[in-house]
Amino acid sequence: MINVRDIRDAARDLLAKGEVRAVIGYRRGSRGMAAEPVVITAPEQADELVWDPTCFHNLALYLVEDRKFLAHSRKAPGAPIAIIAKGCDARAIVVLMQEHYFKREEVYIIGVSCEGVGVLDERKLAGHVPGTPTDAAFEGDDFVFTTPEGEKRLPAREVMADRCLECRAPFPKEHNVVFGEDKTGRELAAPFAALARFEEQGATERWDFWRRQFERCIRCFACRSVCPMCYCDECVVDSITFPVAPETTADEKANRIRWIERSAVRSENITYHMTRAMHLAGRCIDCGECERVCPVNIPLRLLNNKMEREARERFGYEPGASIGAASLVASFNDSDPGSFIR
Amino acid sequence: MPDNIYLPELARITYIKEEVAGERSIKTFRVEPVNGDSFEHECGQCAMLSIFGRGEMMISIASSPLVKDYKQFSIMRVGRVSAAFHDLAVGDVVGIRGPYGNSFPVDDWRGKNLYFIGGGCGLAPIWPVITTAVAQRDSFKNITVFYGGRSPRDIMYKAELEKLRGVADVHLSVDKAEDGWDAYCGFVPANVMDKEPSSDNAIAITCGPPIMIKYVIQNLRSLGFADEQIYTTLENKMKCGLGKCGRCNVGKDYVCVKGPVYSWAELKELPEEY
Amino acid sequence: MEKILHKERIDDWISALTGWEVLSPALEDGIWAYRPVSGAIRLDHPNTTQPPKGLAFPQREVFFSFEQIKGEAPRLTQILPDTVQRAVFGVRPCDGRGAVRMDRVFGDHVEDTYYQARRKNVAYVGLACNQPPSANCFCLSVGGSPVSTDGLDVLLTDLGDRYFVAAVTETGKALMTAANSLFDEPADADRQQLKSVHTEALAQPQRAVHNPDAVPAKLKASFKSPLWEELARACIGCGICTFLCPTCHCFDINDEVTGSAPLKGNRVRTWDNCQFPDFTMHTSGHNPRPTVGARLRQRVCHKFQYFPENFGMPQCTGCGRCISECPVGIDIVSVVNKVVEHAG
Repeated sequence: MINVRDIRDAARDLLAKGEVRAVIGYRRGSRGMAAEPVVITAPEQADELVWDPTCFHNLALYLVEDRKFLAHSRKAPGAPIAIIAKGCDARAIVVLMQEHYFKREEVYIIGVSCEGVGVLDERKLAGHVPGTPTDAAFEGDDFVFTTPEGEKRLPAREVMADRCLECRAPFPKEHNVVFGEDKTGRELAAPFAALARFEEQGATERWDFWRRQFERCIRCFACRSVCPMCYCDECVVDSITFPVAPETTADEKANRIRWIERSAVRSENITYHMTRAMHLAGRCIDCGECERVCPVNIPLRLLNNKMEREARERFGYEPGASIGAASLVASFNDSDPGSFIR
Repeated sequence: MPDNIYLPELARITYIKEEVAGERSIKTFRVEPVNGDSFEHECGQCAMLSIFGRGEMMISIASSPLVKDYKQFSIMRVGRVSAAFHDLAVGDVVGIRGPYGNSFPVDDWRGKNLYFIGGGCGLAPIWPVITTAVAQRDSFKNITVFYGGRSPRDIMYKAELEKLRGVADVHLSVDKAEDGWDAYCGFVPANVMDKEPSSDNAIAITCGPPIMIKYVIQNLRSLGFADEQIYTTLENKMKCGLGKCGRCNVGKDYVCVKGPVYSWAELKELPEEY
Repeated sequence: MEKILHKERIDDWISALTGWEVLSPALEDGIWAYRPVSGAIRLDHPNTTQPPKGLAFPQREVFFSFEQIKGEAPRLTQILPDTVQRAVFGVRPCDGRGAVRMDRVFGDHVEDTYYQARRKNVAYVGLACNQPPSANCFCLSVGGSPVSTDGLDVLLTDLGDRYFVAAVTETGKALMTAANSLFDEPADADRQQLKSVHTEALAQPQRAVHNPDAVPAKLKASFKSPLWEELARACIGCGICTFLCPTCHCFDINDEVTGSAPLKGNRVRTWDNCQFPDFTMHTSGHNPRPTVGARLRQRVCHKFQYFPENFGMPQCTGCGRCISECPVGIDIVSVVNKVVEHAG
C-alpha cells in the first residue's frame, strides 16, 4: 500500500532543495471524485498531491507541453522537471526519450506503482455504486468509494480499465525513485484480450461497427490532444496548428497539403483515425487515454492495439521497454519479415 | 444584404498592377461586377474576396465610395488565398461579398486638418479616406500624408502619392536608406515626430504593422492629440464577416461588425487582445 | 394550452405527428443522442451527450457548389437545407435556453440564411428536470431553471404515470392538437402535483456560480490576471467543451474541391473551436491568443461577460457538459468562481 504522504514528502523535498523546477502530479479536482493533473512549483503545494484510482491521466503529455513551452519561449530548461508516473506513463516517457524528445537527465521520474490494481474506468462504475461518489481510494485489491449513502467497496477488477486488466508492465521500471510494490507478472486478462473479443465477429460486422463509430466522431481531436506521442507541431493529416515564422513563405502556406477536409463525415474521420493509428504503430503504450477521453465512446484502443499486436508478433517489438532501444519504424533487423518484398 | 449572406457575387478583374515586387509583393486589383450593379460602400469597409477552390479573404476596399465603376483592392502575397490572387490575370472572375464592418466618420471631419499615417500595405485601408478627402478638397483643411516602407521598393501607390503633392503634404520615409533616396530615413512614427503635426482641429488616421500603430499612437498623444482625435483600423482573422463565426472578436466586439474602424478612445476600452 | 398525457399514449402521439420527423433520446454504445424514433420512445435519459444545436447548426453545412471551366466565369449553385420538419422530444430546459442564444447569434444584425432555413423547421418538446440530470448542472446560476420553458415549444413534466403537457408556442399547440383525443384536461390534483414537482425540482442542489450578477464586471477587471494561465494549465486544447456546448457557435468556412478539370467543389461550413491553437492565428503568424490561458479566458469571458454585454443575458445555460466531459477536469464553475474571488 502506498502512503500518499511519502509521495508528497518526495515532491516537497525535491522542490525545496531546488533539485527540480516543478512536479507534475495529480490533485483533487473540483468536479466529483476525479483527480486532475497539476503542475506544482512550490514545496508547500506538495500537500495538494493525491494518489487514488482516479489518477488515470497520462501525465507524460505535460512533459511534452513543458518542452514545447520552453522551445517557444527560447528558455533553457535549467533544473529537471519531475513527474509522477505509473507503469504505463513511465513507458510513454521512455518512448519520448527513445525518440530524443528530451534527455533522461531532464526528467526526474517519481514512479508510483498501481500495485497491480490499475486505475478506474468511470464508465464501468455505473450501476455498481449508488449515487455519485465523492472519493475513491486504493485498498489492497479493492477500490473503496465514498458516496452520499456510505462507503462502497468493489473488487478493483470489476471496474478497472480494460487496458489495466491486460497490462503486463504495471510497474514503472524507469524511475529515479519509486513507491509501491512491483506486481509485474500478475495477469488479470490476456494481452489484447478486448481486441481478441472484438475479432470474434466477422469482417462485415466489424466494418459495420467501425462505420457507425466513425459516423459518430465529431473530430474534437481529444484523442490526439491527450496522446503524449502525438507531439507533432503540425499534424500531417489535419492540423489545428501551423507553425509560422517570419521566414515562412507565402508558397509554403499556399502549398500546405490538406489530406482531409474539416467536415466530420465518415470518409474524413476514417482517414484521420487510420492515419493516426499508423503513425502510432510501435509507439503506443496503451495508456488508454484516447478511449477514455472520447466524448462519443469510440473504442479507439482497439485501433492502436491492433497495430501493437502486429508490432509484437511480427517484429517482437514492445514500445517503451527501454530507453536505448531503437524505435520500431526507424530500425531494421535482418530477421524482419520480408516476404512482401518482391 | 442579399438573400443568401454567404453567396458571393461574381466580379471580373479589370486591372492589375504590381505595386511592390519581390518576396512579399503587393498587387493592386480592380474588379467590376459580372452581373448588375456593385454594392455601395463607405470608407473603411471591407469585402470578402473569393477564389473558388482556394477560399476567401477579407480585405479593405481601397477605392473611394465616390468611384462607382470598380472596387480596388491592394493585396500582399502572404498566404494561401493571396498567393492565388497573385496568379490571376485581367479577365479572371472572382467572388465578392460585402460591404462589411463600420466606416470612418468622414462627414464629422469636414473642416478639420487630416493627418494620414500609413506603413507597408497599411496605406490601402486608409486610401479611400485620402482620395475622398482630395476629391472633396474644399471640405477639409490641411491634408498631410505620412507613409513609409522598409525600402524604396516597398513603397506602394508611388505615382498616386506624387500626384497628391499639389493638394496635400506628402512625407515619405524608408526604414533603411538607399542610394537615390533623399526623403526621410527612419521609421514612420519617428517621421511623424520629426514633422510635429499640430493637434489643433486635427484628426489622425493611422494603419500599418501593429508595432507601427502602437508607436504612432504613443507619439500622437505626446504631441497633444486626444484619444478621440486618433483613428485606426484593425485586422483580425475573419471567416464570415458578419459577426457569427465567432473568430474575430476583441472583447465583446466582432471586428467585422463593430470594427474595423476604431478611435483610440474606443479601442483602449477593449481588452488588449489584437 | 395545458393537458395531461398518460405515459402509455405517448407513442400514439408520436405516430399522429405525420409530416414531422420525430427524434428522441436513444442509447447507442453507451452514448445518449437524439435519433429518429424507432419503436417505443424513451424519455428516461439524463441529458444527451450532444445538445440538439446540430439540428439548426449542423457540423457540416454545404453553402453552395462551384464549377469553373478554365477561362470561363465560375458557376455557383446555392444548396439550401432540406425542408423536413423535425420535432425533438426530451429536450432539457438548459438546451431550450441554448436555442434562444443560438437564435440571437444567427438572427441579430443579419439573418444567417442556413440556420434560419433549418431553425424554422425544428420544434423542441422539452422535459422538465425533476432531478438534476448531471452532478454538474448549474442552470439556476445562469438565469435558468429545471422547469424553464425558454426556447421550447412544449414542456412535459413527469408526474409518475403521466405527463403534464404545457404548450409554450403556437407550434407547440399545433403538435398537441395533432393528437387532441389522446390528451386529457388537467384536474386540480394534476395542477397541485405539478406545482409540488416543480417546487421540489427547483430545490434540488446544484453546482453554483457565486454572486452571478457581479461576474461580468469582475471578469472585465481580470483580463490581465495571471490566474488564467494557471487555471488553463492542464488544458489539452481539444474541442470537447465547445462542440458539446449548447451555445458555442464558432465555425470555419472552407472550399472542398472534388474535381480539378473542370474545377468543382463545395463551399462548406464546419464547426470550429476557439480552443484550437490556430483559431485566431493571422497568416503572418501573429496570434492574438497564443496561449491556453488566453483561449480559456476567451471562452469563459464570451459566456459570462461579452455575450451578456451584447445581448443582456449569460451565454452559458448551465448544462454542465463541458465540466463532465473535459478530459482533464477544467471546470467552468470553479474557474469563474476563482477568477471572481481573486478579483476582489
